Amino acid sequence: MGLAELATDREVVQAVLAGDVEQYAVLVRRYRDRFARYAARMLGSVDAAEDAVQDALVRAFDQLAQCREPDKFAGWLFLILRNRCFAERRRRAREGRPLNAQDDAVAAPDRTDGRVEQRERSGALEQALQKLTAEQREVFVLKHMDGMAYEEIAAMTGATVASLKMRMHRAYDRLRELLKGHL
Amino acid sequence: MTETYHPLVKRLLDGELSLNDLPTELRAQGAEALRLLGVVDRAPVSLPARLDARVMAEVRRRAHSPLRRAWRRLVDPRDVELRLRVRPWVVVGGALAAAAALALLVARPAAPPAGGRAVLMASRDSVYVRFILYAPDARQVSVAGTFNRWDRDAAPLVRQGATGIWTTTVALPVGQHQYAFVVDGARWVADPAAPGIDDGFGRRNSVVAVTAQGARTL
Repeated sequence: MGLAELATDREVVQAVLAGDVEQYAVLVRRYRDRFARYAARMLGSVDAAEDAVQDALVRAFDQLAQCREPDKFAGWLFLILRNRCFAERRRRAREGRPLNAQDDAVAAPDRTDGRVEQRERSGALEQALQKLTAEQREVFVLKHMDGMAYEEIAAMTGATVASLKMRMHRAYDRLRELLKGHL
Repeated sequence: MTETYHPLVKRLLDGELSLNDLPTELRAQGAEALRLLGVVDRAPVSLPARLDARVMAEVRRRAHSPLRRAWRRLVDPRDVELRLRVRPWVVVGGALAAAAALALLVARPAAPPAGGRAVLMASRDSVYVRFILYAPDARQVSVAGTFNRWDRDAAPLVRQGATGIWTTTVALPVGQHQYAFVVDGARWVADPAAPGIDDGFGRRNSVVAVTAQGARTL
């Protein structure tokens, strides 16, 4: 681990803004995978997640001078990625190309251990998640896949805990309806 | 008709209750709901290594584009050193003029502004922008923006007695600068006396345009 890897986000951001563009690679390495699962679950595919994370990192570089609180670079980058994921979902909906788990399902890797039923349920859940609204899907992903508390999700997204709970509870009901016969 | 989960089962899914906390008649529904979470795939997702190279290639391309370099020259803060050769009588005369101006200000205090504003004054070699914010309850106020890399400690405002008005004057290079006030070290406040622009992430920044002839808020 080099010295650059030990630098705080603030130090790295300041170095990049001062002209040391190569230091940006530290932030790329630091955050490329942290938000990959969020993007993959929101967009239904690792390929789409790769594009979204790449776009978000480049856009963050473009807007770096506007990052008011470099100590909170991660949260700022998350908001950029979140906007990108929501925009992508809207674009696909407009084009009549709804997301589906067939793109390259992230939730149903081939398994040979005989746990076919588990795999089918997992695939069914992934399909059902794609039918939720973007907001419902987001809160489910962050809470149940990334293991975040409502308070943490509220701090990241700007939504209130009450509205997050409402979205989640509606999502539970919708999933129950969609997964009838699978559970 | 859609069959919904009982509110207590939803609290079970939220992790606020355990299965044993549910009334007996709800436990079957609770167990079914937990099977839903049992198939959630929490495996981490790793993106291909090529992503780093792609991002950095694009970053280098953008960093070296002539357009970006021109923009950075326009908006990046730079240190400006002013060297003056003056005769002693100029200093004495200037001090007297400053004292007279101060006396006029004290004799006729301006009405407090409703919000904050950037008052703009041009000198020959640099443009001084006076930032004003009316914040009677604040304990400290500073102004941060693209001209000081959003450093909330770089430009503190000074409280003007008991008026609730905070001011500071900052020398800004020519160019367009986004800024916002920071109240009590944490709360970001766009200049209420200047139009704001969306910073792209749901917050508002104020904008001041500085030219050799002066400056104005946008």
